[in-house]
Amino acid sequence: MTPATLRRSYVESTPRERIVALADPGTFREILDPFARCSSPYLAEQGVVAQRDDGVVIGRALLEGRDVGAIAVDGRFLGGSIGEIGGAKIARVLERARDGAFLLLDTGGIRLQEANLGLLAIAEICDAIVALRERAPVVAVIAGRVGCYGGMSIAAALCSQIVMSPVGRFGLNGPEVIEQEAGIEEFDARDRPATWRATGGLRRVAQGHADILVEDDLDDIARTLREAFRATRNRERLSLARLRDRFAESAPA
Amino acid sequence: MKGAIWAQALLENARAVPGFPPSVIVLDGTIAHLAYRAISILPNASARFPRARNGEFGLDEGLAVAEAVRGASGDSAILSIVDVPGQAFGRREEAAGLHLSLAVAVESYVEERRRGRPIFALIVGKAISGAFLAHGMQAGWIGALSDGDVEIHVMPAASVARVTRSTDDEVARIASVVPATARDVATFAAFGALDALFDVIDSRAPAPAEIEQVRAAIDQARREGLGTRAPADRLRRPPAAARRALALDVRRRIDEAW
Repeated sequence: MTPATLRRSYVESTPRERIVALADPGTFREILDPFARCSSPYLAEQGVVAQRDDGVVIGRALLEGRDVGAIAVDGRFLGGSIGEIGGAKIARVLERARDGAFLLLDTGGIRLQEANLGLLAIAEICDAIVALRERAPVVAVIAGRVGCYGGMSIAAALCSQIVMSPVGRFGLNGPEVIEQEAGIEEFDARDRPATWRATGGLRRVAQGHADILVEDDLDDIARTLREAFRATRNRERLSLARLRDRFAESAPA
Repeated sequence: MKGAIWAQALLENARAVPGFPPSVIVLDGTIAHLAYRAISILPNASARFPRARNGEFGLDEGLAVAEAVRGASGDSAILSIVDVPGQAFGRREEAAGLHLSLAVAVESYVEERRRGRPIFALIVGKAISGAFLAHGMQAGWIGALSDGDVEIHVMPAASVARVTRSTDDEVARIASVVPATARDVATFAAFGALDALFDVIDSRAPAPAEIEQVRAAIDQARREGLGTRAPADRLRRPPAAARRALALDVRRRIDEAW
């Protein structure tokens, strides 16, 4: 057990720090880093300052020697929203990755400012995940402040394994998408504890909607990520019979 | 009910497949002597989940679509008729895991397509957000009615102005300079995202010649093997070269660096 003072928080880390901490030491090689100046041209017109990596960090890394695609969405930039550039980055890494991929998802889903270009990209991402997981593990980690919502929640649900911390939230329609991405203040803050109880990592793992629960600790997540890569795909999660039972429990009396 | 109207109009020798909730119509039939299974989401005022009574994609709809796609006979293509106003927005749905309902539909479409089953989609009304991702976007070929009622976007129109704290005029201005935020079918087609547009006089009452035109296009697409193309193939359509140049550039630069 690592003393609490030496633990490194995933939540408090940047997307690059997260990938570096989770990959085999010294193996992460970023592609299209901020110096490549890949930033969205659609945002200035809409009063938003763009970011030079478009809020998505990608590259290649080793994980126990496996040659994997590494993807981290930056939840601090426009709620981790997916636009044309970020979406193309994720899709192409998934298409190219040899021995699997991990996705550190902190995302509200499609970027409203690039609406249908994000939509097109997420359809490609979903297809690429299913194609890749047929031959190698695709592991999603949902442990950041934003959680994983919108179109990207569909993509995450397709992954071989899903790792969550209690901080992470996982659902289709999140109130935070609206708050973070567009700043609406209408959402009643008193509903927040309820949102966590219903969609947070503890609940999702208990439901079997996510596979492995981790602490907010990079070392714990690094160990768990390797464990998830060794596991076979969890086919149970999207089983029709199981979902039918689950949903029936939720139906109004 | 446009989904049902077009599903019934397009399929010949159509018969309803039993065992699905009233909000999901599943028809088996033929077009030009080849087998198709048509699937569409319909309003159902007595759906057990109240937030999915107006044709939204909810918990039951995802399961039904997945089952319909997986259960089609071996020689049948899938024809998804798309008129979905969005996903069900409900606390109960979120707690149950609505994203899994959409994911299981997506998974079914992708796996069947990757196994070689042709998937076609025809947008006859609204194609909004997650609901469109789960029902339509994984098709190898997507056609749409060129109709003012057809709408393609990631969020219902009423929400956009509210969420962006702007006015309808400002939303319209942005749509004119950032086409990705527009909602009309012609702009979506200009990204290379659609394979065919069909002019219709009244999308609620298709005329025989209009039906025949859509059938002919789908039949030709099937014979050309277009129903099994992956979504990324849309980047290879001619309009994408200019209108999705950024995505193409990003992909090229990743390939160079890989």
